[in-house]
Parts: sequence; structure tokens; C-alpha cells
Amino acid sequence: MMRAVLIDDEISNLENLQALLNKHCQQVTVAATAQDVSNGVAAIEKHTPDLVFLDIQMGEQTGFEVLKLLPMRNFEVIFVTAYDQYGIQAVKFAALDYLLKPVDIEELKEAVNKTGRKLVAQTPTAQLDFLLQQLKKPEASVSKIALQMQNEIRYIGLTEIIRCEADNTYTHFFLADGEKILVSKSLKEYADLLRPNGFLRTHQSHLVNPKYVKSWLKEDGGILLLSTGEKIPISKPNKETVKKALQQL
Amino acid sequence: MHIKLNTMKKILFTLLCFFIALSTVQAQKGINFSRTYPAGGRLLMHVDSAAKNIYYANVFPNQPNTSFSYLPEVNQVNIQINFREKVHIQNYRYTILIDNKPTIVNQSINEAQLEDTHAGGDEEIFRSATLGTFPVKGKVITTLVYSTEKPLDIEKAVLYGKSLPKAKIKAFLKRTVTDKGVNYSPITDPKESTQLTLTEKDDELTLVKDRSAIDYLYYTTIKDKQTQKIIYESTAWQYGGYIDEANEFSPYLQVDKSIFKKSGDYEIIIQPSTFSRFKMPANEMEKYTARYTLAITLDQENYSKRELWMYVLFAALAIGFAFLVILYFIKKRNQKKLAENEQQKNTAKLRLNAIRSQLNPHFMFNALSGIQNLMNKNEIDNANKYLSKFARLTRNVLHDRELISLAQEKTLLDDYLQMEQLRFGFNYEINHPENLDLDITEIPAMLLQPFVENAVKHGISKKAAEGKISIAFMQQGKDLVLTVTDNGNGFDTAKKSSGLGLQLSNNRITLLNDIYKENRFTLAVQTNPGDTKISLTLTDWL
Repeated sequence: MMRAVLIDDEISNLENLQALLNKHCQQVTVAATAQDVSNGVAAIEKHTPDLVFLDIQMGEQTGFEVLKLLPMRNFEVIFVTAYDQYGIQAVKFAALDYLLKPVDIEELKEAVNKTGRKLVAQTPTAQLDFLLQQLKKPEASVSKIALQMQNEIRYIGLTEIIRCEADNTYTHFFLADGEKILVSKSLKEYADLLRPNGFLRTHQSHLVNPKYVKSWLKEDGGILLLSTGEKIPISKPNKETVKKALQQL
Repeated sequence: MHIKLNTMKKILFTLLCFFIALSTVQAQKGINFSRTYPAGGRLLMHVDSAAKNIYYANVFPNQPNTSFSYLPEVNQVNIQINFREKVHIQNYRYTILIDNKPTIVNQSINEAQLEDTHAGGDEEIFRSATLGTFPVKGKVITTLVYSTEKPLDIEKAVLYGKSLPKAKIKAFLKRTVTDKGVNYSPITDPKESTQLTLTEKDDELTLVKDRSAIDYLYYTTIKDKQTQKIIYESTAWQYGGYIDEANEFSPYLQVDKSIFKKSGDYEIIIQPSTFSRFKMPANEMEKYTARYTLAITLDQENYSKRELWMYVLFAALAIGFAFLVILYFIKKRNQKKLAENEQQKNTAKLRLNAIRSQLNPHFMFNALSGIQNLMNKNEIDNANKYLSKFARLTRNVLHDRELISLAQEKTLLDDYLQMEQLRFGFNYEINHPENLDLDITEIPAMLLQPFVENAVKHGISKKAAEGKISIAFMQQGKDLVLTVTDNGNGFDTAKKSSGLGLQLSNNRITLLNDIYKENRFTLAVQTNPGDTKISLTLTDWL
């Protein structure tokens, strides 16, 4: 059994989420609901839940403030948001779970199940710490990313990443020290995350850190030679953008 | 036929006088007269061989029986006279003057001396006699020959052994037309360069030369120094008007003012130009040439018709061209301005569209979430009602119209506020006077929605059921005034975070003012805790 606290500024959202949990996630008991930051903090301190459903935008406040106000964060968080680009980016960098409103029942179930597994594996505080650190920095100056592996979360400096390669819905990360990490998220998600940081999508299956680009080879209609000696193909539709991006370096 | 041949011979004889230098050797008194030249009329002259340049038998206009030979290097000259057969030689008399002093006067031909010669190589046989040998160096020998049958047909041959003088201009006279007639103003003994102003009333210029016995020798030309074109030529010296110190008539030329077309320098050249047929070198000719420069200033420039047409044409072309250039630039500038305006308007519209379509996504998804909740609570009718409202609202927002009627705006705001009511409990009202026709009056689409959204966001959301929003459409004279009032906490207009929505609205107002230049959009904000009022005035809108 997992005990949950729901925090959202809109009563209808609280009602809705509670109804969905009751119906589809019976391993979750809703211990309390709260409609603003201070009530949320109080509810968490009082009920010490395993899981917090946290709305990101609450009037003029954000759900992140709830986290900041709690010194001990020994619970898992599933963010719930209607629309918040900035918050979502940070959450993604921290490899935390989030749900979009209106809530999709399958996504809700999956997030709850995943949290159940994580609760067994490790204490979640580190990930939340990482999130709060990221939030302090201006966007696109993020220097690290959290990668969710089978049994652990790895925090990797962006400069350590040479390139990413798609493997169906998984993504291989090739790191500067020669390590190769497999992450169970699609390359597209990482491409969206890392493109603001200068990463180049050269190909449907390839995302490259421009720091490691050595030269542009003309063979086969364009290939990037990396400083590691690897050759990365450039697909036709990406040619112009890659060329432009490399020229600006 | 026979007559014709005879005529030919006569012409041949005449030609002989003009051209050929012969080399009949006539030795007389120990002088070597190696060369023979025509000396004019019936005369031939034999000159000593040392002389190189012999400018013989020059003739002049209006001087029918006068011949002039310039012999600068000859010492002695032997003069021979030739008669055709059948001429009554006994009727002929000759007079020889040396330096104008009669030396031989009215002498008849010594017939005993006559002999048959070919007179310079002609086939015809002439009867020839020698009139004598004379020293010519430094002297002028004038021979006059006439027949007692025609005593006025005096043939005059001048053999000039002196150094030939340069002509000298004694005076320029400017003739001015006055009320009483004409008036002459002289410039006497002019220098080589003379300033002269010709006014409208001046009509003629007279050049007065110094008098000499050989005025006919001097040929006058006037040259435009700028174009190097000769604009005047004359040998027709006139006598009568001007008398020199020796009480003799001075030769003069009259020049019409009209030859001077433009202000500028003109050169008057007086020279014995007949010598040029002997190919006298230019530097040699220059010794006998007088040059005067007239710097003429014309009060009124005279232009030839052709010049005038050219100037007119040129001016017309220049003006036309300038006009075209100006027109081109004006057109270009206007086009640019127009394009800029259009572009500005377009960008303004685009940006406005961008702002307009920004129906807050946060609101949209929360509204959907609210509908989801109704479904999950089994409030199917309500779920349907709100889903329809949401659909209509979205449709209205997506529909890209510049203007919508106030009635449509009211529906949109109703939908929007009812969706927001689903999220937050509050009351609202939309008021308008009865005389304002909502269906006819149009306003820019989504004009009020952002302000209403602001009211919901900043003012109401926390107050729940006590919250109240009043919207009013009002007519003030020709202005349309739209107000949004709420009883929320209000906000500090200077504070950045709460002003974000307001700033967006200000941008909208600026853009609207760019598009609707005839009507001013003004925004007034009054905010106090519990009472915030936003008034949007559309001037001259109704």
C-alpha cells in the first residue's frame, strides 16, 4: 500500500485524481489533499506519504515551492501539470515522472507502478535535490542530466556525453570515458531536452554533442567525424541545420 | 573652233604670268640674271640668282590691274615687257617710280630694241624689250604701263625690295545706337589685348588700320579663340571716314556686332595671306602678321539658332531627366514607405494573431481536466454542457477573424468565464446599455479576453465564491468603452511579475494602434485591493 497526498489548487482536479486513483490504482490510498503550498507542506509533514501528486502551477505559486519548504523529502513525487514548459523541462532533466492534464489513465497506472518499484530500490531524495538545483539555474545552462537506468539513477555532465543513439524505444548514451549507458526512453525525448544545449540531431537515430565533432566528411552525402574516430551519418533533411549549427561554433 | 584655240592661247599667257619660274639665262651688264618670273601684266622680271624667296605677281580683289611682287633678297631686277603681234606698240608708254619718285616718265618703247622671243617658253612669238635694270634692295620699284588708246587702263606692277611692315590697328570704334542716331566710342592705339563690352545698343565695330601704299596686301580674319573658328574675313578696306596725322584717309573695316555670339576672347589677325601660295613657312609669315586680342563681354549673349535649339533641347532634356530621377526616387520612396507601412501592419497583425491565439494553454488543459472530473463524477449532462462550451470557445479563438461583433465577444466571454467558473467558484456579470447594438458593433477579436483572464487569475481565483467580475460595454459619445472590474486583491502595476499579463495587454494595445491608425485605443488601469478596474477606450469607434 502506498499513501498519497494530492496537491492542486483546483478542487475539481483533486476530486478527479482521487476518483481515478480509487478506481484504477487501488494500491494507493489518498491520505490528504491540499489546495495551496502551505497546506500542502503541512499535509506532507503530518501524513509522511510515500507518494505526492504535485501540481506545478498553482495560482501564482509553483509546486516546486512545496519541495523547497520540506527539509526531508523521503517520498516519491509525480508531477501533474496542465501546461508548463519550464517546469516540465526541469522535471525531465531530473528523470522524474509527470502526468499531463487531463490525466490519461494508462499513464497514471504506469507512473504509480514505477514509483512502487522505485520505492523498493532506493531513497528518492537525490533526484528531487537535483531537480531543485536545476530549477535555480537559468534554462539551457543545465550542466547535468539524470538518466534512469534499470536499477539506478545516474547524473551525467552534458560535456561527458559524446553522442546518443536510438535503439527502438531505448537510447544508448556514449560517454567520454568509454562507458555506454542504455536508458529506457526514446531518443526523441532526449533530442528535445538536449537540443537547447547545442546537441545536434544529425539523423533519426543520432544525437551528437558538437563538442566532439572533429570534421565534416563529404563522403556519402555528408558524415560527421567525431574526435573518437566514430563516423556519424547526417540525413538529408538535417544537413542544413547541422551545417549552420557547426558554422556558428 | 579656230577662235576657241586663240582664246586658249590667251589664257595660257595669263597662266604664265602666275606660275612658272623659268630659267632663261639673260646675261646683262655682267649680272647673272639666272631666273625669270612674271611681274604682272605684260612684264617679266629677271632677278639675280642669289635670291631664294621670290613672292611674285600677287593679285588682289578689287585691284584689277595691280600686281605685287615681294623681293626681300633681290639686289638688281631687270624688267622686260612683252607684246603680242598686232599690238600697236608705238601707243604704249611706261613710267617707272623708285620709292614713289618718278625716274622714267611716259617713255615710249624703243622699237629698235624689240626682238622676237618666246617670252618665257610659250609657243607664241612675242615682241619683247627691256625697260631697264634697277637696284631694288631697300627700294620699291613701281612700273606703270598704259596705252594712249586706253590711258585709264594703267597696269601697275610693284616690285617690293624693302622689308614689309606689319599692319597696325590705330583704333577700335564701337558704334552705339542712340535716340539721335549713332554714337562712336573709340579705343585708340589699342594694345595687343583689349577689353571691350558690347551692350544691347552697340551694333557695330570698326577697325582702323594705319595707312600704307599697299593696304590691299593685308588680309584680315577674326577668329573665336575658344572654338578656333574663323568668324570674319575681309580685304575690303574702305576709305573716307578717318583721316590720319598726314591728312590721308585711313583704311577701315566694319564688323557687325552679330558675329560675336558669345563673350570671350577673339583674335584679329592681319597678314599678307596671298604669300601662302608660295608655301611661306609659318614662322616667316608671322614676321608680317599683326595679332590683336579682343576680350569681348556681351551684355546679352547672342546664340545662333542652332545653338539656341541645342541649349533649349539640352536644358529640356536635363530638366526632363532630373524630373524623371526625382519622380523615380519619390516613387521608390513612396513604394518603400507603403511597403514598410504594409509590412508594419502585417507584422502587427501577425503578432496580434500570435498573442490572440495564446488562449492560455494552462487554462485550456485545466478546463479539460474539469470536464474529465464531471465525467468521472457521472455528471454526464454537465460534462456535455461544458465540453460544448469548451469546443465553442476553442473554435472562436481558433477562428482567424480580425473583427467580431460585441455579441460574439459576449458569447466568447460567457463561455470562457463559465469554464473558469468550473475551476473556481465566482460570480460574474456582463452589462451593456440597451441602445448599444451588440450585433452591429464590431471590435477586434479577443480584445477583452486577456483582461478578463487577468481578472480571473490575479483577482478572483483565491476568493472562490465571494469573487465577482463585472464586464461592461459602454458608449461615451463616439467612443466605445469596455471595462473589466473585479474585487480581487488587485496588483501593483509597477511590479513585474503581476504586470506580465498587463504588459502583454499593453503590447496588444500598441499593435492595435499600429493597425487602426484612425482610432486610438487607450488603456486605463485602476487597482486597489478589492477593486481593480480596467477600461479600454476605442475612440471614434461608434
